Amino acid sequence: MNEEKTAVLLMRENPSKSPDPYKIQELRGLAGAAGYQVLAEIMQRKDRDNRFQMGRGKIVEALSYHPKKLIFYNALSPNQVFNIRSEFSAQVLDRFNLILEIFSTRAFTREAKLQVELAKLSYDAPQVKSALALKKRGEQPGFRGAGAYEQSMYHDIRGRMAKIRSELTDVESQGEDRRKRRREQGFDLVALAGYTNAGKSSLLNALTGSVVEAKDQPFTTLSPTTRALEVLGRKVLLTDTVGFIDDLPHFLIKAFRSTLSEIVEADLVLLVADMSDPPELLRRKLAASHKALWDCEVSAPIVTVLNKADRLEEGKAEELVEQIIDLAPNPVLASALTGKGLGVLEECISQRLQPLQEYQLSLPYTAQGLSELSRLYETTELLAVSYGEEMIVRLRAREETVARAGLSGAHRL
Amino acid sequence: MVCALVSARISPNFIERIHSVRLIPRLTKELNLCVVADFIGEACMCLPGIIVAESGDFYNLEIWKVKSILGRDFKYPETIAERTAIEMAHHVSVAGRKLIIDAREDNTDE
Repeated sequence: MNEEKTAVLLMRENPSKSPDPYKIQELRGLAGAAGYQVLAEIMQRKDRDNRFQMGRGKIVEALSYHPKKLIFYNALSPNQVFNIRSEFSAQVLDRFNLILEIFSTRAFTREAKLQVELAKLSYDAPQVKSALALKKRGEQPGFRGAGAYEQSMYHDIRGRMAKIRSELTDVESQGEDRRKRRREQGFDLVALAGYTNAGKSSLLNALTGSVVEAKDQPFTTLSPTTRALEVLGRKVLLTDTVGFIDDLPHFLIKAFRSTLSEIVEADLVLLVADMSDPPELLRRKLAASHKALWDCEVSAPIVTVLNKADRLEEGKAEELVEQIIDLAPNPVLASALTGKGLGVLEECISQRLQPLQEYQLSLPYTAQGLSELSRLYETTELLAVSYGEEMIVRLRAREETVARAGLSGAHRL
Repeated sequence: MVCALVSARISPNFIERIHSVRLIPRLTKELNLCVVADFIGEACMCLPGIIVAESGDFYNLEIWKVKSILGRDFKYPETIAERTAIEMAHHVSVAGRKLIIDAREDNTDE
């Protein structure tokens, strides 16, 4: 643990709402993932304080631990950040900035870096606008004015955001082409989605035998990672994606659109959840995942996978499944660690994928026809080939594979 | 104002069957929690099941409070299907309100 990075966690709860212990627990996990050593956790049930978000006394109490930073669960307005900094000379972060800090330390690919920068700028733009408005409030026209230089900062941010968006649109269209190509090659696309730290990467490793980085901490995966897998005769590409989190700002989802498009465009979504969580927390995480999937406009069928089944006893697992039946009616219980339930999961994947259609097509005895036949051997399930005046091929495949140019004579049986 | 209600049987990810759709118009001089709760309670009368409404409709009150106000099982939307059903009810209410206003304007013109 880095000695330099110390923090005190602060959370204000609305007095009209029931206390929620999981929020501070999650914040602790996030602070740990960002490398902060948590010195203390301070909570207060109080209506929103416009000046400091919490009461002055609680901030003084937090500063008595001499932390490097104060991390707030609640979102801080630019005014509140300014007030706390100037009044207490303390460095502050809110939950959203903490998430962005984690993201920026783990963003290695160009796409991930651009997405994190866009998210940061989306957050900063209104804050800068508000700071400029504050600065200009006491401005005198003419010589002592804030001037065009300050004003241009906001426009610079908007310009940079537009540039990043256009670059990300290119990345997205590349992703679209890639997915189209993969479907033409006969692959079914399956995406792993779910709350952060649910064990998506571990499940990917367990199913495909790969060694993708998987750790017991939130947001280990930022960029999508795809691995091939054969499920009961079907060729599948399994994609691991960034995890969801509760109360995710809408613009963060927008910034990560190109990554989330792997989920949106998938043929099947495996919604992974950690079943070792207490039932109430599991329900909340599943509901947050459903909300994120709804925001992404996912239309593919969803299979809920309850991971880490090895941590629960048999009887307790059944009890838990009963408690979440309205959110996940027929979940697959699996364990990436022990391999338990992976066979059932593979069966479930093959059942829920759209069945392959049977086609019959004719190919000429030309170089192109023979090369197409060779390709069909690789990408489809070839049932029969009869050699007459032309080659008549009967096969089972995805529509996209058959619809590829050069196979226009194909018809469905 | 209008209240649209969609009575449906749902799975978490999709709507299995829509049993009925109701649209109830009402004129009020004021809008508060009591009026909204009364209106929604009336709209759901004689329909079994859990009432699902957006949290804004009940002024972000906690679920247990709304349950005790309505005297029925209640929840805020959690699953994709529940959100789809609410979206459907939104479309019905917007279209219904527009029809009612248009009809009223036509009558005034005549």
